[in-house]
Amino acid sequence: MALKHGSRKGSGETGSSTVAVAAPRTQMSVLQAAMAATAQPDESALNANDPKQGSNLGKKKGWTPDKRHGFMMWLMTVPFLILVVLFAYYPLFGWVYAFYDYQPPVPLSESEFVGFQWFHMLWSNPTQLKTIGQVLLNTFGISGLGILTSFFPVAFAIALNEIRSKWFRNIIQTLTTLPNFISWVLVYAIAFALFSSSGMVNTVLQDLHFISKPVRFLDSGEHIWIKMLLWSTWKGLGWGAILYLAALSGIDPELYEAAQVDGANRWQQTIHITIPQLMPTYIVLLMLSVSNFLNNGMDQYFVFQNAFNQEHIQVLDLYVYNIGMGNNSLSLATAISMLKSLVSVVLLWLVNTLAKRVRGTSIF
Amino acid sequence: MKFKKFSGVVGLMTVVSLALAGCGASSSEAVNTKDDGKLITVDVFDSRANYQGIQKGWAAKIFKDKFNVKLNIIAPNVAGGGETLFDTRSAAGNLGDIVITTTGGGRMKKLVKAGLISDMTPYLKGMDNIKKFKKSSDALAKIAGKNGVWGLGMGVSTSSPTKPSEGVEPQDEPYIRWDYYREAGYPEIKDMDQFLDVLKQMQDIARKDQKDDKVYAISMFKDWDGSGMAFVQHMAAWFGYANQGSAFLKADGTDEQTVLTKDGIYQKILAWLHKAQTMGLVDPDSSSQNWDKLHDKVTNGKVLLSPFSFLGKPSFNSGERKAKGVGFALAPLQTMRPYSQGFINEGDLSYFIGIGSKAKNKQRLVKIINWLYSPEGVYASSNGTTAGPKGLTWEMKDGQPVLSEFGEKVQFASEGVEVPAQWGGGIYADGICALNFPTIAPNDIDPETKQTYNSFLWPSELKKTNPLLSDWSKHMDGAKTEFEYLNKHKMVMVQAGVPYSAPEENSAQSARRTQINSAVIAASWKAALANSQSEFDKEIKEMTTKADGFGFKDIQKFDYAAINEHMAMSKKVAEAAK
Repeated sequence: MALKHGSRKGSGETGSSTVAVAAPRTQMSVLQAAMAATAQPDESALNANDPKQGSNLGKKKGWTPDKRHGFMMWLMTVPFLILVVLFAYYPLFGWVYAFYDYQPPVPLSESEFVGFQWFHMLWSNPTQLKTIGQVLLNTFGISGLGILTSFFPVAFAIALNEIRSKWFRNIIQTLTTLPNFISWVLVYAIAFALFSSSGMVNTVLQDLHFISKPVRFLDSGEHIWIKMLLWSTWKGLGWGAILYLAALSGIDPELYEAAQVDGANRWQQTIHITIPQLMPTYIVLLMLSVSNFLNNGMDQYFVFQNAFNQEHIQVLDLYVYNIGMGNNSLSLATAISMLKSLVSVVLLWLVNTLAKRVRGTSIF
Repeated sequence: MKFKKFSGVVGLMTVVSLALAGCGASSSEAVNTKDDGKLITVDVFDSRANYQGIQKGWAAKIFKDKFNVKLNIIAPNVAGGGETLFDTRSAAGNLGDIVITTTGGGRMKKLVKAGLISDMTPYLKGMDNIKKFKKSSDALAKIAGKNGVWGLGMGVSTSSPTKPSEGVEPQDEPYIRWDYYREAGYPEIKDMDQFLDVLKQMQDIARKDQKDDKVYAISMFKDWDGSGMAFVQHMAAWFGYANQGSAFLKADGTDEQTVLTKDGIYQKILAWLHKAQTMGLVDPDSSSQNWDKLHDKVTNGKVLLSPFSFLGKPSFNSGERKAKGVGFALAPLQTMRPYSQGFINEGDLSYFIGIGSKAKNKQRLVKIINWLYSPEGVYASSNGTTAGPKGLTWEMKDGQPVLSEFGEKVQFASEGVEVPAQWGGGIYADGICALNFPTIAPNDIDPETKQTYNSFLWPSELKKTNPLLSDWSKHMDGAKTEFEYLNKHKMVMVQAGVPYSAPEENSAQSARRTQINSAVIAASWKAALANSQSEFDKEIKEMTTKADGFGFKDIQKFDYAAINEHMAMSKKVAEAAK
């Protein structure tokens, strides 16, 4: 909601886009518009507040009021720049660990410099290579399924929006949003209670004599990607729909009115107005999720992993964790996660270029 | 107004940068000021503790009364995340005031090199107990690669290294539900195959008896899996094999194997478990449940085999059940040769207790450690394995230690037993010392009572009997304890006790080892719970291919070198003891 509101304000002030007009060039992304709203507020408005002092100072330093104002605005962004530097760039210093044989408690300064040994180790033998290949396959597989199903929240939001009864809609929305706030550990506890070999489902099936031996839902490697997708969809669907619900409420009612005058039914309105109007939001979120392709999180897979499904559930983050934290090989883990950053940047660049070509909009 | 804005921005920036600066490490060098005897909180980094937080109850009262300290236990086992807590605390330069952790894999060396552990030498005046076990501190200094008194090992002793250190029973041997075994008619158990048939009979009886189809002969858990399935490794000790890393060594030094040895002990036991699985004897929860869950099942009588002494008997054999002749007891498996570890004079140096370099009031901390190695400290701190504090749980009668009424109550099923007010009150079990670090071997002789610290071996305790014990005894050649039976049949394999600490390996090797271990564990579980022979064979093959691919040869060489060195030391000690 807030994001959408920001975009409206932003578009009003910068005049670069209006949501109601459906021309591609002016269809600025929600995010971009919001950024515009924070980064470049209307300069004249601020200057008009205090023109005297501004011009005085401007004279003294030989600065034009514009420049001075720009400097002030820059200063306002400084705290955030500091945060970005501290939390996004400063940690990159940690990459240096990949080139040392770091074993805590011996400090880095006393650790042995080993150059590219850890990187070399990654492709030093076929088994290692195969493992990394499998890990990447898992990562791409699970993330790929996630992206293929990324339209679920859109569809869900539209469907939810079509529900006429308000109390019913609210109940559905609350029930579907709630799982997002349950941690994966608890989700696993639920999964275990339901699907373990002595869990509820197996007990019921056995009592009804449908099966004689318990089905191994959790401790088998079969269809694990699909299972993981189902769990994450159950957990994230309602939450994912919130942004789209916000975008839906921002669609100009005039468009629908015009369509109704033209005799469009609800289905046609959805196809020709709602979905095109949601596309910008969808594309931005899609791009962000592609750049996060390798970052598909580890907590979900960490709690679900066991000896039986490890081969197919081990995504990159989990693999790094298993190696780094499981046995102190922090340097090797750093080397692997460096490769991950590299691939992520390449992916983001690819998608961005693609979006520019296809839709004429991009994140940067 | 503009200036106000400007200063506001600057102010905000300052606040932000200050707040962030707070994230960095603050280095506070400990100044060793004079100890004023005031109440202090001692941070104990304890890799063995299973409780985190301030020590409670009667043990807390003892520490408070004697040293005016509160113990704040920091327990990686409770915090979880493997070595994360150790790594972060040691990287910050301060593990704790008292440190109890492992020495293996070069950790001891690194701790000393990084200056995290303090040399106790300047504080040793009058510390007779620490001096008494100089052998232990010397051996530790050798591991650390630097002279000094860095600490003491766990379970030091003065008994002969060729004598079994475990008391009444070795740690790993087959315990079965004796009551169901009785109902099956005490069948002979000639070998492991016959054992399966007996277990099957027992399972059938138990299911009928309890009217529950979820009773299983065998139930496993995964929590302790390290270089292989821990359950299998423990079972290997039934036949005299001790595991070190990926290797297995027979206690008499006649055989060495690894997890990959074809038809070796590890794979043989996997095959046995697989056979049990196809016979329907294995709990399907095995691969997903943890220790607590298994413990609950055993306590409720849903599991019929306990492969170690510390599972079946202590959790199931309550006084009430024993009086009815119900409970776990050693199975007369004729092929078993349980592994036993001799007393280690230097102590088990895989763990040690020392003092952190940033600690304040070090003299007082040294005094605490010195006291922990005194008889009084042993009784007070190593509960569960020793009798407990004198005066509360036991007393001297006619020159012999005898459990008091209270002591008897807390030995078995101690839940909810209240401690008398003068001992600090509260529930006994809650007040047990959380260090979980037996300083002196519990079965060593207390010079004051001339009996073991462990009450199980006291003459007054051995005299006691119950229907379960007498029935078991009748069918076990009149033996009163497990060791008596095993010794009579010359079944025990004792490896002379020598201190051992896993040798240091380089980090490329340990990275390789991690991956090998995880491949071995995954394949082992899949093999044991496989539904067909071909599936089993496939998993074993996959295990071998994968481990070999990651460089198992290297690891094997390393592990064999380590066990051979260990064996050579054992043999030397055994010679000397003769």
